[in-house]
Amino acid sequence: MARDPSIKKVLILGSGPIVIGQACEFDYSGTQACKALMKEGLEVILINSNPATIMTDPEVATKVYIEPLKPQYIERIIEKEKPDALIPTLGGQTALNAALELNRLGILKKHNLRMLGTSAEIIERAEDREKFKHVLDKIGAKAPKSYLVKEFEDGLEKGKEIGLPIILRPNYTLGGSGGGIAYSLEEYKQMLQMALYESPTSEVLVEQSILGWKEYELEVMRDRDGTFVVICSIENLDPCGVHTGDSITVAPQQTLTDKEYQDMRDEAQKIVNEIGIETGGANVQFAVNPETQERVVIEMNPRVSRSSALASKATGFPIAKIAALLAVGYRLHEITNDITKSTPCCYEPALDYVVTKIPRFNFEKFSGTQDLLSTQMKSVGEVMGIGRTFKESFMKALHSMENENIGFKKVIFSEEKIAYPNSDRIHYVAQAFREGKSIEFVKELSQIDYWFLEQIKTLIDFESEILQKPLSVEVVQQAKRMGFSDRQIADIKNIKEKDVYDFRHKNGLRPGFYQVDTCAGEFHSETPYYYSTYWCDSYQMQEKTDTVVVLGSGPNRIGQGIEFDYGCVRGVKAFQKEGLRVAMINSNPETVSTDYDTSNELYFEPLTFEYVREVMNFLKPKGFVPQWGGQTSLGLTHRLVDSGFALLGSSLETIDLAEDRGRFAGVCKELGLKIPKSEMVFSLEEALKFTKINGFPVLCRPSYVLGGRRMEVIETEEDLQTYFEKYGEFINSDSPFLIDEFLDRALEVDVDLIRSNQWCIVGGIVEHIEAAGIHSGDSMGVLPPQRLKESTSDKIEKMSMDLAHKINVIGHLNLQLAVKNDEIYILEANPRSSRSVPFVAKASKVPLVDLAVKAILDKPLPQKYNWKNVSQVSVKGVVFPFNKFKNADSILGPEMKSTGESMGRGADYSEALLKAFISSHVKLPQAGEVFLSLRDKDKDLLLPLAKQFLNLGYTLSATRGTAEFLGDHDLPCVSVRKVYEGRPNCVDRIRTGKVSIVINTTSGRKAIQDSFSIRRSCIDYAIPCVTESDAAEALLMAIKKARTGEFDVQPL
Amino acid sequence: MKKGFIVLESGETFEGVWVGGENRAGEVVFNTSHSGFEEMATDPSYFKQILVCTASQQGNYGAHREFWESKKIHIEGFVCLEIQNTDREHTWIQTLLNQKTPILHQIDTRKLTLVLRQKGTPWGALVQAQDSEHAKKIAEDLIRKAKDVDSDWPFLVSVAKPEVRKGSMSGGLKLALIDYGVKENIIRELLPYVSEITIYPSRTSSEDVLKNNPDAIILSNGPGDPAEVKESVQTIQRCLGKKPIFGICMGHQLLALALGAKTYRLKFGHRGANHPIQDKISKSIYMTSQNHGYAVDAKTLPLDIEVTHTNLYDMTVAGIKSPKYNAMSVQFHPENSPGPRDAKYIFKYFINQIEQSRR
Repeated sequence: MARDPSIKKVLILGSGPIVIGQACEFDYSGTQACKALMKEGLEVILINSNPATIMTDPEVATKVYIEPLKPQYIERIIEKEKPDALIPTLGGQTALNAALELNRLGILKKHNLRMLGTSAEIIERAEDREKFKHVLDKIGAKAPKSYLVKEFEDGLEKGKEIGLPIILRPNYTLGGSGGGIAYSLEEYKQMLQMALYESPTSEVLVEQSILGWKEYELEVMRDRDGTFVVICSIENLDPCGVHTGDSITVAPQQTLTDKEYQDMRDEAQKIVNEIGIETGGANVQFAVNPETQERVVIEMNPRVSRSSALASKATGFPIAKIAALLAVGYRLHEITNDITKSTPCCYEPALDYVVTKIPRFNFEKFSGTQDLLSTQMKSVGEVMGIGRTFKESFMKALHSMENENIGFKKVIFSEEKIAYPNSDRIHYVAQAFREGKSIEFVKELSQIDYWFLEQIKTLIDFESEILQKPLSVEVVQQAKRMGFSDRQIADIKNIKEKDVYDFRHKNGLRPGFYQVDTCAGEFHSETPYYYSTYWCDSYQMQEKTDTVVVLGSGPNRIGQGIEFDYGCVRGVKAFQKEGLRVAMINSNPETVSTDYDTSNELYFEPLTFEYVREVMNFLKPKGFVPQWGGQTSLGLTHRLVDSGFALLGSSLETIDLAEDRGRFAGVCKELGLKIPKSEMVFSLEEALKFTKINGFPVLCRPSYVLGGRRMEVIETEEDLQTYFEKYGEFINSDSPFLIDEFLDRALEVDVDLIRSNQWCIVGGIVEHIEAAGIHSGDSMGVLPPQRLKESTSDKIEKMSMDLAHKINVIGHLNLQLAVKNDEIYILEANPRSSRSVPFVAKASKVPLVDLAVKAILDKPLPQKYNWKNVSQVSVKGVVFPFNKFKNADSILGPEMKSTGESMGRGADYSEALLKAFISSHVKLPQAGEVFLSLRDKDKDLLLPLAKQFLNLGYTLSATRGTAEFLGDHDLPCVSVRKVYEGRPNCVDRIRTGKVSIVINTTSGRKAIQDSFSIRRSCIDYAIPCVTESDAAEALLMAIKKARTGEFDVQPL
Repeated sequence: MKKGFIVLESGETFEGVWVGGENRAGEVVFNTSHSGFEEMATDPSYFKQILVCTASQQGNYGAHREFWESKKIHIEGFVCLEIQNTDREHTWIQTLLNQKTPILHQIDTRKLTLVLRQKGTPWGALVQAQDSEHAKKIAEDLIRKAKDVDSDWPFLVSVAKPEVRKGSMSGGLKLALIDYGVKENIIRELLPYVSEITIYPSRTSSEDVLKNNPDAIILSNGPGDPAEVKESVQTIQRCLGKKPIFGICMGHQLLALALGAKTYRLKFGHRGANHPIQDKISKSIYMTSQNHGYAVDAKTLPLDIEVTHTNLYDMTVAGIKSPKYNAMSVQFHPENSPGPRDAKYIFKYFINQIEQSRR
């Protein structure tokens, strides 16, 4: 029994860059698994192309390879490391698909590598929809009526037989990509075509609609003896029709009888056994007809999944860790429950609280896309709220969303917004109740189960109770138990948040903190994983003066994602190394920072002032650190300091100097540093006045901005007018617009440095590949810089340090700079950890976060670092979610749109580029036609590039103007119509598969609109499309490197 | 809103909201199952007990007569954090109130559970009162009276005279079942395999049981302390070796006593739907439904008795077998209801054992 002694070296595959449907939950699972296996004394070889992860920190595994998760790269690593076994079930669909591919190519067999916990057959039985249906038939489980379709014509026939609406599910795609629901025949035809294309095997399951059915998910585990446990039951508030990743979900399930639940449990067990899952975690999704109680199986994932991360956080049962231990031979009963330390892991967690997950969306970033939810996942992050009741947990989850309105958003009642699932549906449901609509009315429109609607209505009804009754202990206690925030109560009563807080504290209405203990109190447990609740007596203060509070970054969103969790986790570990205890506060269930194993104490709480303050009241910590949680935690700093808590690291004054544009400009002036000309404007007239003096192009944005929201580069007066027409409503006297001189074609760089009172060290300079104007999060980058002159680089280092000294940074400082004609301009200063920190730390090997902790604690610099002294060139690649957002434009600009990043490491720039492109899922066609549509100013610039493509054997096509230009320079080129010039045009050419690469540079609102369909067709057909001249050169360089077939793999 | 209290004999009181019912006393126990409130409340093993559900929201899916495990509500009170009570759905409250079973909610059930865990299974009372002092006074009296009953609890919930239930297998086995407070699902599970089951009162004699020449004897579950159950040990001892015997829960404890072992009171019992059992017969580990406050002392088991099942939470005895007498028993509930059905095979296994012994 126990561990299999023949396994000594294990290969683990990560999940690659963050994409919609596969996010940092796999960092959580992978990190957990690596830690568990390392503790077992095994050698762990990890491959992941995502530098922003904790798991790719060198300490996490024996050897970490930041390399593409593609067979030839993995094989090279296998040859080098000779592992005994592969665990493919921890890195999401990416790892599973890679493992299948390795198997198909015979690589596993060749290198005598065992797959642990699963096999290719098992994966296929679960993932191949037809095989899965056979499994269901065999055990007597039902599936929705469906057919596997491989051809369009056959699909049409089958669709008619099933009847509308029809669900389309392409085989082997992520997060349901390419799938959806068709309500009309016309829609069905279109979607079928796309779905057939999206599926790597050109197979689509067309399926009877179970819209409106109740949806459930069971997270299960099994060991090789067949011991089977359900870790968590999850019930979706949103009925079928909305991807489970986009649904509000609740654990444990609330509305099934024990009999119904046990039927489901039995069926899940039979499925897992019949599929043949040997060991590990899996999930099974069910739908239940609310009228007839008929139950069907929707799907199963034979691996650790997004929901298993949620289930782990919801129950305290570390699924991924246990899955890893099971894979190397342990049985469930041989592993001790981490939380109780006395009971074994063969049990089912019992909850005496309720957990609610709410997804977070970024529709606003993809103009042209409708905010409509379907079976294809679109959310980019999630929050979890823990409370004793559904109401308390649901409200805490709402607060965790970090919306401007805490709790329910103010919306205007709309039947349509209740009937058609969208990111704000729950707020419209609430509004309906506010306007006196009945539960039946909302049920009829939304199909949401009565029970959930009753809960929400109770909350809304209580709003009027708060309004009507005087502020009393009873009312406030009730409100707090329902999860109302002080701010909400204050808003309803038209008083100040502080008044509610003071009233509460005067009357002893403070939250208590209860443990997530996996057993509902049945056994003693010491694990310090807490949530606050008003369903208990208030607490004893702790006075933990040796404890530092680290504030997390909340739900992932575009612009603030896993990179910030990296900082938090590293920060926690670094403080612990310095002998301090750390309490972590965060609301994001996907992260490593919310693993109870990361910090000394974990508080799963909304990152709002009230909740954070109550935790700090409880703890009385030494101080708090907001540097790693992005704008979320930085935004809390002022009020926490005002409440008497000690801010560790950069002071409020430093933060203000960096963040207040006026004061920052003053500092720069004093230091003689250039910043682009800039002005706050309150109207179009003022904006026009600015451009009269300073000319175009300009950069426009609202003054309060995150991830570059509504930020645009504007080249003409006409465009400026349109911009104000579009966004004028966001201007008011509190928040004017900012208008900046735009440094056209400047080279942009990111600098990350750490400063203490005694020392200052630059961690690295990342040179952007795209020119200024593309958001730094969307721009590819390279370290060490390839184009920056050494003298300029030195100057940048010096001025960055000067600035850090001047504003007295303690800890992190991130700067964004632009270099034009050897002049350096400062674009932005962030007195905190940044998105680039993990990439820089891994590329330059300067442990930025650890040094930040040294700085905060005023410790000496432990050793010398030189970020330029690196043997490898590192390129940051970028991953975009455009394929999930129908009708969204893929053109890049100052507003960030990417969800994730990859890292390519190589002996030279071209190798690093090649790997970064591959890891970012950009195809690099080795032959074919290159289509060009260039704006005038790029034509000369890209002429040599067009020539090189020709020399490499590619053919060229172009829109008329570009084609004429190329023709004039003796480059043979097919001239193709623009879209408005009639058909067949360039888009037809792309859509019929004649084009392999598209280079489309454009600017100006009209030109961008005109060329939209070019870029969109590239997204739909996965054709590489670059919209920027420097990116085009980088792509060519990577293609050339790819054609040599040479590459090497190197561990960190 | 009316105030209500749960008062423990040890002195702690918890204030909550009184939903209804009459003041009552009983042993206070907690159960960690997420669902199945109705199955639990109608299970005679909860006789004389106030049930605290740790899962915070109860009654969500309403009441369903088909889930009843006996003909009435057996618990002396129902306590949870929040009970479902809307115009659309309040049938669970109504069901409890029909028998005047008191309901207390909006109390900190977690704190209560931790107290119950530390104090063992204290007696307590559910009381509607103005304040805790008042509540304590009422409770004291109630607890004293409640304790003042026959300590042979199975006798109080058992059938008064034998009853016959027809099975669906004509010409199949005939079983005798001694009722210490049998759950309906035990009978439901057995009926498909047999032609009839005769249910006998708890103090029945071996002569009565053996008179009709049953193929085997089932010892049912039931409430309370096995050592207090009168006549049953003697009855079982006289049947040993004559007929195959299968015991569940109380039946398991009584079989052990009949075989010469001892039982003891667990600190706070096992009540829930997630208890892992290691089963040497099927060579597997599975989840079980449990509800008991006493256990068989492994050290006192005669040498010829095999321990077939072990509770992996605390390594207590969860099943035994006497090859000599063809008798076996389990501490947990293979009939589930509520809880996982993983152990259901045991019924079939036992039926097979009987059939083999007949050949």
